[in-house]
Amino acid sequence: MPELKVKGVTIVETFAEAFPMVGTRVIITAPTLEWALISARTMTGFATSVIACGAEAGIERTLSPKETPDGRPGVAVLLFTMNADKLQTQLRNRVGQCVLTSPGSACFAGLEGEKKLKLGASLRFFGDGWQMSKLVGGRRFWRIPVMDGEFLCEATTGLTKKAVGGGNLLVLGKSHKSVLAACTRAVKAMAELPDVITPFPGGIVRSGSKVGSKYKGQIASTNDAYCPTLKAAVNTALPLDVEAVMEIVIDGLSFEAIHKAMHAGIHAIAKGGAREGVTHISAGNYGGNLGPHHFHLKEIVG
Amino acid sequence: MSALTFKLKGKPDQRLDLSPLVPARLARLKQKQIEALVIGTTRAKLSVGDFFKVKGDDAERLRFVGTDKRCDNIGKSLSEGEIVVDGNAGAYVGAAMKRGRIEVKGNAGALAGASMAGGSLAIAGSAGESAAGILVGETHGMRGGVLTIGRHAGPLLGERMRRGLVIVGGDAGDYAGGRMIAGTILFKRGVGRNAGYGLRRGSLIFLREPEDILPTFGDCGVVEFDYLRLLETWLRGTGRPVRLGGRARRLMGDMSVLGKGEMLILA
Repeated sequence: MPELKVKGVTIVETFAEAFPMVGTRVIITAPTLEWALISARTMTGFATSVIACGAEAGIERTLSPKETPDGRPGVAVLLFTMNADKLQTQLRNRVGQCVLTSPGSACFAGLEGEKKLKLGASLRFFGDGWQMSKLVGGRRFWRIPVMDGEFLCEATTGLTKKAVGGGNLLVLGKSHKSVLAACTRAVKAMAELPDVITPFPGGIVRSGSKVGSKYKGQIASTNDAYCPTLKAAVNTALPLDVEAVMEIVIDGLSFEAIHKAMHAGIHAIAKGGAREGVTHISAGNYGGNLGPHHFHLKEIVG
Repeated sequence: MSALTFKLKGKPDQRLDLSPLVPARLARLKQKQIEALVIGTTRAKLSVGDFFKVKGDDAERLRFVGTDKRCDNIGKSLSEGEIVVDGNAGAYVGAAMKRGRIEVKGNAGALAGASMAGGSLAIAGSAGESAAGILVGETHGMRGGVLTIGRHAGPLLGERMRRGLVIVGGDAGDYAGGRMIAGTILFKRGVGRNAGYGLRRGSLIFLREPEDILPTFGDCGVVEFDYLRLLETWLRGTGRPVRLGGRARRLMGDMSVLGKGEMLILA
């Protein structure tokens, strides 16, 4: 079978293995877009992986005043966990500590969803009895008195159980610089798409992991097959001329959303062609036995 | 299908009870059966056919043409569909309605939208006393939905109101929002004496500062309210544009009762 290439970059015949997650979206608004972003970045901080952060979260996109319920600039945030109870806890803690506290902020539901998660319905107790409930257009909102006026927060937001976490691309290249540039381009392309986030720093992971470790109690450890410094010592997946590998992890509200994001990502990576130094685009999987969602690169490129 | 239309033949010599003329009741009736419905309120058993010329066949959309202030109970307890009143309405228009939409192109009598629980009631003209107020036998006034009054509202607007939104385009009478439990009333112009008397929770929003404010309301000064922006955005989206901005002077009260209600006077 001939090797599949896009602009000289080899598309490895493999697949990304992803897992079901539960997800939600909230909309954060503020007096300025800058402050909405500050609030959203704070809320989605330390949320790269459920392995140790409790949740995976990120900014989906910014919203113009015409797109928000209160006519102010806003940001749509996506939050994912492995089950609804954890999502509820993470949502309450993150909105309570990072959005409620942020000057001038307000928080609204961003998803209809099959079921509801408490948002203001939980945070209202901060009002110590002075909170006010308001129904506007059939939606309930809580007005919680705070030192800069009021924190306006919708009572609930929706959750979806159709979310998918762990869509991924592995980018191999002849230099650290070329791989970083290609991945940055891909993350930017994916950021244009709805319903997905790339939760790692700047959307890129340089420390992909494998399951387990030689050390007891360590549930994940470095993906040695993709570490260029270990080529000679392990069952490496890397050609000798590959100097660096980076991964883009994608979480989305649906299988289709991740499929589209991976398609956009692959083409953005390959945009510069092999001349820029990217040699392969691959994906991480566990043999197909752990995650029910398989994203075959060949089908995505096609 | 055309709207089921009731055209008043002449000025009625008695008050008419039009409460049977709602879509849920008319859906399975033929024209003759509709014309036989009793709507008179005196000992003489007068029916729809005696007062109205009936035409059309879509019972989900009702239209009253040429009605006057003696035509009571239009859309009372409405649970579905749409009613357009091309004229005036008597007392109890939209009272206890649950869902659906009523549009009155003229004025409405007393107790318009009283104890209504949902849906939309829009009165282009003025409304009599106790609009969105409390029906006899009920414990609460308006419990949901939206009531818009294009011009003036009589006294006791929203008395004992529990939930929902009232918008008054003109002046409102005395005791507006009296004994209100919750909900929101938006006053675009003036309001009479003792607004918010006995207000427990709920919001009275004023585009103009009321001339007379009860001494049992405490001033909190001017503050930013994102709630006002939310309300403004929603109102604009539903075709009821009102400029609210985000800054308002807040007065809490009525301190003679629970005192967790508010007057928001736009700054």
